Amino acid sequence: MNFGNLKLFYALSCVALCLIILAPTLALVVTFPEGERFSELWILGSNHMTADYTFDVTVNEEYLVYAGVGNHMKSSAYYVVYVKFKNQTESLPNDKTETPSPVPPLYTYYVFLQDGDDWEIPLTFSFSGVSFSENRSLVESLTVNDVAFSVDKAAVWDAEDKGYYYQLFLELWIYNTQSKTIQFHNRFVGIQLNITRTV
Amino acid sequence: MKRETKSHRSVAICLTVSMLLAVWLVPTCLAVDANEASVAINQAERDLGLAFAMVAEAESAGADVSALLNKLDIAGDFLSEAKAAFGTGDYENANPLAVDCSHTVEGLADDAASLKLDAEKAQSDRLLFTAMWSGVGLVLLLVLGFLGWKFLKRRYFRRILDMKPQVEGAQ
Repeated sequence: MNFGNLKLFYALSCVALCLIILAPTLALVVTFPEGERFSELWILGSNHMTADYTFDVTVNEEYLVYAGVGNHMKSSAYYVVYVKFKNQTESLPNDKTETPSPVPPLYTYYVFLQDGDDWEIPLTFSFSGVSFSENRSLVESLTVNDVAFSVDKAAVWDAEDKGYYYQLFLELWIYNTQSKTIQFHNRFVGIQLNITRTV
Repeated sequence: MKRETKSHRSVAICLTVSMLLAVWLVPTCLAVDANEASVAINQAERDLGLAFAMVAEAESAGADVSALLNKLDIAGDFLSEAKAAFGTGDYENANPLAVDCSHTVEGLADDAASLKLDAEKAQSDRLLFTAMWSGVGLVLLLVLGFLGWKFLKRRYFRRILDMKPQVEGAQ
């Protein structure tokens, strides 16, 4: 090894050692990219799986699904989950324009989660005051978690898919600490329900 | 005697009427209307949001906020029940539940602020401590590096000089 190479090798070793010594301080000062931030929202069937979802429903029968939220926002989050119920004519949230459904919420969950944590809860629902006339069905009351809400929603007979279709869905909202408001988080999930006279 | 009986009867009627009025009017006076319940729910939502904002600040400063989040969860359950009661027109239950929510988060912002201060102090102490040891390490590296370089240079040149060809036995 000639003298020039020795000098270079020694200088590089010193720089490497210097970086190793400074690494703990740099780790406290420098912020590294955090990766993707996102939230999960899900509905599971009564068997706690993404199968066996309630579809055909009848009056005064109680049904069970599981609703859940997962936080991967790299910090704690304050979520609001709205349980909504719509008929065929009312609109779902629009994920392109990031606007929520105009349907008023029935039940509201307030959820606080640390990063990486999940929240899951059983959600029960049943229908009462269901009437049928010609090609139209009317649901007067929907009970969510033992709380009866007056809904008064009508659906016409869907001749193609043969049923009176409604949808029970969840919307995820998140608290924005900058604006100090709850904002639609552009996540929603729901189940299609066919109201029948008998299952 | 007759007059006495008459006066007793009118007293009894008066008492009965006032009791009936009391039974009829007191619940009306104590009843909570939709507006009152709505105000309480809005206030509870604001309280919950502000408390969370403080908790989030404390967390970003490095504080462990799990206990505070548990408290927020309890408050959230109260608010959830309050909203459900409100949705069914049960304003008398909605109001106290919303008030319970606000009470649960009372003082939470102060706790979060104090946790934030502690976390910031701990963070700056840690930074100072680490920077100090890094500084000591750097000084040591400079001194040892300089001495090492002198030693290495001397050794290198001695080896070069040892390798220099010498002419022996020349006449």
